[in-house]
Amino acid sequence: MKILLIEDEIELQKSIKTYLEIEGNVIEVAADFLEAQYKIEVYDYDCVLVDITLPKGSGLALIEEIKSKRNKTGIIIISAKNSLDDKILGLDIGADDYLPKPFHLSELNSRIKAVIRRKNFDGNTEIELNEIKILPNERRVFVENSELFLTAKEYDLLLYFVANKNRVVSKSALAEHLWGDDSDRLDNFDFIYNHVKNLRKKLLEKNCLDYLQTIYGIGYNFKTNE
Amino acid sequence: MKLLVKTSLYYLFFSIPILLIAGFVCYYVITSEVKDSNNTLLTNRKIVVEKYLKDSDTVALNLITKSGEAQIFKISKPILEKKSYLFFLDTLILDTKENELAPNRMLSTIVKVRNVNYNIKIWRSTLEYDELFEGIFFLLVLILFFLFLTFLTINFWISKNLWKSFNNTLFALKSFEVSENKIPILEKTSIIEFSALNNSISEMMKKMISDYSSQKKFTENASHEIQTPLAVIKSKIDLLFQSQNLKENEINLIIAIDDACSKLSRLNKSLLLLTKIENRQFNDYELVSFEKTLKNALFFFEDNIESNHLKIKINCEQDFCVQMNPDLCLVLVNNLIQNAIRYNVENGEIEVFITKNKIMVSNSSKNEVIEPVLFERFQKNSSFNQSLGLGLSIIKEIIQVSGLRLDYKYSIDFHQFTISFKTKG
Repeated sequence: MKILLIEDEIELQKSIKTYLEIEGNVIEVAADFLEAQYKIEVYDYDCVLVDITLPKGSGLALIEEIKSKRNKTGIIIISAKNSLDDKILGLDIGADDYLPKPFHLSELNSRIKAVIRRKNFDGNTEIELNEIKILPNERRVFVENSELFLTAKEYDLLLYFVANKNRVVSKSALAEHLWGDDSDRLDNFDFIYNHVKNLRKKLLEKNCLDYLQTIYGIGYNFKTNE
Repeated sequence: MKLLVKTSLYYLFFSIPILLIAGFVCYYVITSEVKDSNNTLLTNRKIVVEKYLKDSDTVALNLITKSGEAQIFKISKPILEKKSYLFFLDTLILDTKENELAPNRMLSTIVKVRNVNYNIKIWRSTLEYDELFEGIFFLLVLILFFLFLTFLTINFWISKNLWKSFNNTLFALKSFEVSENKIPILEKTSIIEFSALNNSISEMMKKMISDYSSQKKFTENASHEIQTPLAVIKSKIDLLFQSQNLKENEINLIIAIDDACSKLSRLNKSLLLLTKIENRQFNDYELVSFEKTLKNALFFFEDNIESNHLKIKINCEQDFCVQMNPDLCLVLVNNLIQNAIRYNVENGEIEVFITKNKIMVSNSSKNEVIEPVLFERFQKNSSFNQSLGLGLSIIKEIIQVSGLRLDYKYSIDFHQFTISFKTKG
């Protein structure tokens, strides 16, 4: 996948690039408006991550340019301004998602995958991972063609793990994904353990390989390769 | 009390002693004038009587005595030559016509005519002083009454005309909203005081609006500037988590950094929220159902409640609906439920009682009674580390801007928060 990252904070740029490159994505970066404008004109991307406040211009103008050039490109706004007005405006002019800073890299990754899935496979959005098959539109999961019945939270967890496979996902990232912005109200995330435990049990019952590894103190890793 | 009513009352109050003094002065002037004129008249008559005596005009003397206004006696007692014997006195004499004692002014003198001493008494009916007193009093009351009427009509006219510009200014001030960024135009007036007032009010509003917008910008910018480094830290932590072969103590260090980082992020979010509420930036109002909001909140905290083994009792008699900002309502209910969970005991209880005009959230807790100081910012119960000390002040602030009322009650290990409509007045 080819992704353009427009972000003026160099350290954040580096982090995102490193995280997304693990999976073999190609990440191009732009640190200001003009550089971004140039890259948008010259290359095509599967997904563009845009910060709204940029040196030499506004990210919103870039979104309009991307939309007019290649409609299939997924656009995610990453903004420090968590204001509803910005969000509505951004989505109105054609962004596909809005992620306020600070965010977990795993969250960004899962959003990118969701956006690209929606954009590129019209209707056919199946996710296949070895013996697991997920139909995101119907929120259904099959293991070796036998349906696996999950609760809403278990399903969300599985999708998130699959999107961030082979990476360590922290408990707070999981909580934020499942409970949203307000997850910091939950004081402790111990109950995430229960949801993960149930998900793992259900997968094992269907004779799935044991992908889910607990990482001491941090969270989980959905390991599919060696 | 209206200013004009008050000033009229002051006028009336101070006119009473003035009128009283005027009344007494009137009384004394009138009585002394009457006395003077009576005295002159009686003296003249005495001269006439003396003349008649000298002329021995008995016919005229008889006529005078018969009129019932004079008496003439011969007296044998000799009098001192040189000293004149003449005085005036007020006396009561029986009025034969009305058959009652009437006040009279009397002249009494002794004259010597051809070696005979005569005592001459001449009198004349005069004013009844108590009647005069009553008359003056009645007049005063009448004046007071008319003064009052005049004040009233003048005030009515003044408030309609002179105070018009003041009332206009007041009306404009009432509708002034700093977040609307619009200065109301105050009507021009020829009255110096009011025009000075209007000028300073306009200046003040300009200042308020500029202060408000710079404050707004500051909080927005501050939060923006803090979010970016936070995002960097958070992303670096995420990357650190990816590295293989982390040692246990390293993991603990990273987790500690992560915790502090999320606490900072929460703090930033809460402060921004508080500032926004204070700046009245949540001004989309609609009819919000507390029952629905509560259900959303309970759904959100479902796992939390379950893992703490809390029992929830909801008793909804009738939905409590309030005209307020729905986002703030959600924050409010979330904060209440969050507190009820956070400060609860294992296997504790949360009770919610909703009626038409209030919502009551109570929870068991081993904590002490909440001191009012905990409603202030950054005041926290030291027993809970996760707390930022902003939850209760956010609740307080939302209650304030939404025109609601918050009551807190504590009874033996049970905390109870009640939200109801603010009673007017």
